[in-house]
Amino acid sequence: MSNKLSSSVPTDREVVLGILNNSEDVLNRLYIGYFPMILQLILNNNGDEDDAKDVYQEAIIILYNKIKSGDFELSSKLKTYIYSVCRRIWLKKLAQQSKTTGNVSDFEDVIAVDVDVEEHEEKDLQFEKMGSALKNLGEPCKTIIQDFYINNLSMQDICEKFGYTNTDNAKTQKYKCLQRLKKLFFKPDTA
Amino acid sequence: MRNEIKLEAIIEDYLMGKLSPEEKEAFELLRVNDPAVDHKVVAHKFFLDSLKQYGNVHSLIQQMDKAHAEMDMESLVEEYKPHPSYIVNMWRKNKSAFAIAASFLLISIFSIYSIQHNTKQNGTYEVMRREITNIKNSQNKLVRSLNAPAKQEKGHLNAAKFGGTGFALTANGYLCTNFHVIRDADSIYVQNNKGDSYKVKVVYRDPQYDIAILKIIDESFSPLATLPYKLKKNAIGMGENVYTLGFPKDDAVLGEGYVSSRTGHGGDTTQYQVSIPINPGNSGGPLLDNQGNIIGVITAKENQVEGAAFAIKSKYILEALNAIPQDSLGKKVAYSKKNPLQGLNRTRQIEKIEDYVYMIKVYN
Repeated sequence: MSNKLSSSVPTDREVVLGILNNSEDVLNRLYIGYFPMILQLILNNNGDEDDAKDVYQEAIIILYNKIKSGDFELSSKLKTYIYSVCRRIWLKKLAQQSKTTGNVSDFEDVIAVDVDVEEHEEKDLQFEKMGSALKNLGEPCKTIIQDFYINNLSMQDICEKFGYTNTDNAKTQKYKCLQRLKKLFFKPDTA
Repeated sequence: MRNEIKLEAIIEDYLMGKLSPEEKEAFELLRVNDPAVDHKVVAHKFFLDSLKQYGNVHSLIQQMDKAHAEMDMESLVEEYKPHPSYIVNMWRKNKSAFAIAASFLLISIFSIYSIQHNTKQNGTYEVMRREITNIKNSQNKLVRSLNAPAKQEKGHLNAAKFGGTGFALTANGYLCTNFHVIRDADSIYVQNNKGDSYKVKVVYRDPQYDIAILKIIDESFSPLATLPYKLKKNAIGMGENVYTLGFPKDDAVLGEGYVSSRTGHGGDTTQYQVSIPINPGNSGGPLLDNQGNIIGVITAKENQVEGAAFAIKSKYILEALNAIPQDSLGKKVAYSKKNPLQGLNRTRQIEKIEDYVYMIKVYN
């Protein structure tokens, strides 16, 4: 019984609460629950399953950020929201690939989500930039920065992990790493 | 360089809220006085937020990838890929429209059906009349199918196929029942209220009036005492209270009612119509009036009419009895004005007659 229950799609309320509480289970169920819907949309509109995965994950990130930022109000069913976001993203991608400029064939109701998607694009740009900056930063800087700023390890922990003789050395190292990362992050795109 | 590190450490502590109130105040003053420091704070905050956000999204993506890996992508793709068939595509895209159309169709069919059905009911009067010529078909013969195994009984261990009711006509073992009860019978046994079974043979059949006379041929049968009831000669009036004793189950059951018509099914003058609850197994049971006179034999009920049962008039019992050689009958039931049950209450009457009512078990 519990198996059946846990594999079912969570209710909209469950999703919001689950994301706010960082519940892995809810996210998994949400992800598995609505993916087929998006897969169907993408497959039937000139995409493949990898496109579906990209689009769907972007939509979940949008939902995630929106819920985390605290200003999320359910004005429709979550399903409709996710579908609409995916549809909007996929339309944009199609337009970029100039495959079709027209419409996609729909399977669900659609609501207007243009603002959310646009907002997300900006954030996504930053995400990409940060990702590539971290990549270019190299080890051990990358791990130190991630450990301290993302995984919230203390300087003491980092000191031990990397074998620094004292925390001051570690702090100096971290400072240098951060400076470099900042430089990489804020430098105008060369590409 | 050292100062820079220190400044940034302070900024970080400030942003994370780790400074003491005095330090915080001093630092905020510094921010106000030194735009360069203020700019650094803002920039650092923005940067840290981006970094945090990156971390969150990054772990989210990892988690989603994990969930993604759990799914059986191939079968999902198989299920949702564009179907070559036009019909399937159409179905998928227009599910809700189809659903609405289908329910509309169903409702229309249902309402048309019910309208027709209603008008039909108004017209059944005709139809019923036509069927009247065919009395036997629309009557429910009250033969009870016995599927429960019968109790241990002498001579016959198998379960009886059909059951009915019969009652004694003479003290030496002549019984009356319905012809349809014993029709197609290989062998027939009767069982009295004490549970004793006796083998019987059919000595007279009358399909026309649906009457049969049986004779107990079992050696263990000892003659009965004088019959307590009499046959009623005259026709009985409408509204007369009547009752019957029968075997719709393995014990005798009393049914009580009144004569509701002087004629039976479709005006059949050989029968009464009786308003009395009867069930399969009651067939062949005696119908008695308040004085304990037998006025008929329960035989059938109408299936579509509430409370309409039919009983063959007692006159035809006697006709059947007359067809049997009189010297073999012995002490027989007779017409009588006065009978021993008269004046007794219902309970006492039943006590007296229940020994003379038998369950009939038919094997074939």
